[in-house]
Amino acid sequence: MLHRCTRAIRALLVVLATGWALTPASGQAPSPGTAATTLPRTADGRPDLQGTWSNATITPIDRPEGAPPVYTEAQARRLERGYADRVERLAQPSDPNRTAPPQGGDGSTGAAGNVGGYNNFWVDPGDRVAVVNGQYRTSLIVDPPNGRVPALTDAGRRKAAARAEQFRTRGGEYDHPEFRPLAERCLMSFGSNAGPPMLPNYFYNNNYQIVQTKDHVMILAEMVHDVRIIRMNATAHPPAHIRPWMGDSIGRWEGDTLVVETTNFHPLQVFRGASDTLKVIERFTRVDADTIVYRFTIDDLDTWVAPWGGEVPFRRTDEQVFEYACHEGNYALANILSGARAQEREAATKKQNR
Amino acid sequence: MRRTMLLVCAGVLAVAGVRVAAHHAFGAEFDPNAPVRLQGKIVRLEWVNPHTWIHMEITKGDAKEVWAVEGGTPNTLLRRGLTRDTLTIGTEIIVDGYQTKDHSLKRANGRDVTFTDGRKIFMGSSGTGAPRDGRDPTETTKKPGGR
Repeated sequence: MLHRCTRAIRALLVVLATGWALTPASGQAPSPGTAATTLPRTADGRPDLQGTWSNATITPIDRPEGAPPVYTEAQARRLERGYADRVERLAQPSDPNRTAPPQGGDGSTGAAGNVGGYNNFWVDPGDRVAVVNGQYRTSLIVDPPNGRVPALTDAGRRKAAARAEQFRTRGGEYDHPEFRPLAERCLMSFGSNAGPPMLPNYFYNNNYQIVQTKDHVMILAEMVHDVRIIRMNATAHPPAHIRPWMGDSIGRWEGDTLVVETTNFHPLQVFRGASDTLKVIERFTRVDADTIVYRFTIDDLDTWVAPWGGEVPFRRTDEQVFEYACHEGNYALANILSGARAQEREAATKKQNR
Repeated sequence: MRRTMLLVCAGVLAVAGVRVAAHHAFGAEFDPNAPVRLQGKIVRLEWVNPHTWIHMEITKGDAKEVWAVEGGTPNTLLRRGLTRDTLTIGTEIIVDGYQTKDHSLKRANGRDVTFTDGRKIFMGSSGTGAPRDGRDPTETTKKPGGR
């Protein structure tokens, strides 16, 4: 890991040398600039948001501490080239005479979990820096201006501690299939991919299909084939005990922007530790033929000391959204549970023979 | 400066891990104390979500065993025009990875899956050989195919 880290650092040294401490203005990229009047519209005169879109990007959700709000174009291009170089490097042949990987694990971290995951060619995490309003962004969060989620409230901290305690005392994490994460159970999204808010997962399949009528807007997230139906101009959310996956979404038009308010989130779909009073406001604005600027606001003063939010460019794509039917091939869940049982048997045998 | 360098490094590696897994924690499924190197012919492909499984037959002494090797989502490859038919049954491959924690199963993660000359399987680009690396202006992401 260390030598890979060193290579990554070297690749980016020049970026740093050219200065992160630049004003936002110096990070201006050519503005899309298409006149709103030329944008495609539906029969009822609304901006046409329909089609297939991707929010894949190499810009992280949270801004690294100390980084400025935007890159210069040269910095952005260098980062993108660094990513492309990396893909190329990982596509190079391996030694055909290689032996098995190291006993005790290969040292990989994260989801690759010391066993190395799988080849890079399977993934498609995004290869471009996010551009919004002509700026090459260093984070998707833009409010507050430091690009980072505000502090938890006292109640938010207590809630996080209570949740950790509940996880600790309910049993081992492999003791029951329902103790496993929603994505692993093929139930919902990766992270907040389906949302709301709809955020990239930085792995693959960051694709959405939007279908729009006068009365409804449908958003299909490829991960994990999650469909959200937004009711246009509905007057009220359902009672508080009605809590569907992805919450209850009501939409309206403010000029040429689709505004969607979502509440009533499912109790198992907890966005970053939010409370059950979470309200998410999304704003979809088609700024040119190939771009929707997606803005989101997280309103949950029970959890965070202030509302916060961000901006994500959705890029139009001609590619298809494929079905992500997940249960059929989900051998991993069974392997994980049977692996835990096998290790329990092994431990019991050792104890007996002691 | 050192801190900033580490930040950038962490960001880069977090965004694009060297060998990655997303749908589930691979460390929970596979045993770091059971490394394997498998060489043999593909006998079956399960081109399914959440993870593709490549079944291969290996020879162990006089016996033959069929192992299943876990890869990633087929959707990403489908968008590049690569389908399960891209890999022919009978093709000989080399896999290194780790066996499942349940050792009664002959399953492993496909940490590195290559042809016998070391080339990675599933490549496709007219540029550098890297898939969709952005270096070839004539390369488009829209390719025929897909099942």
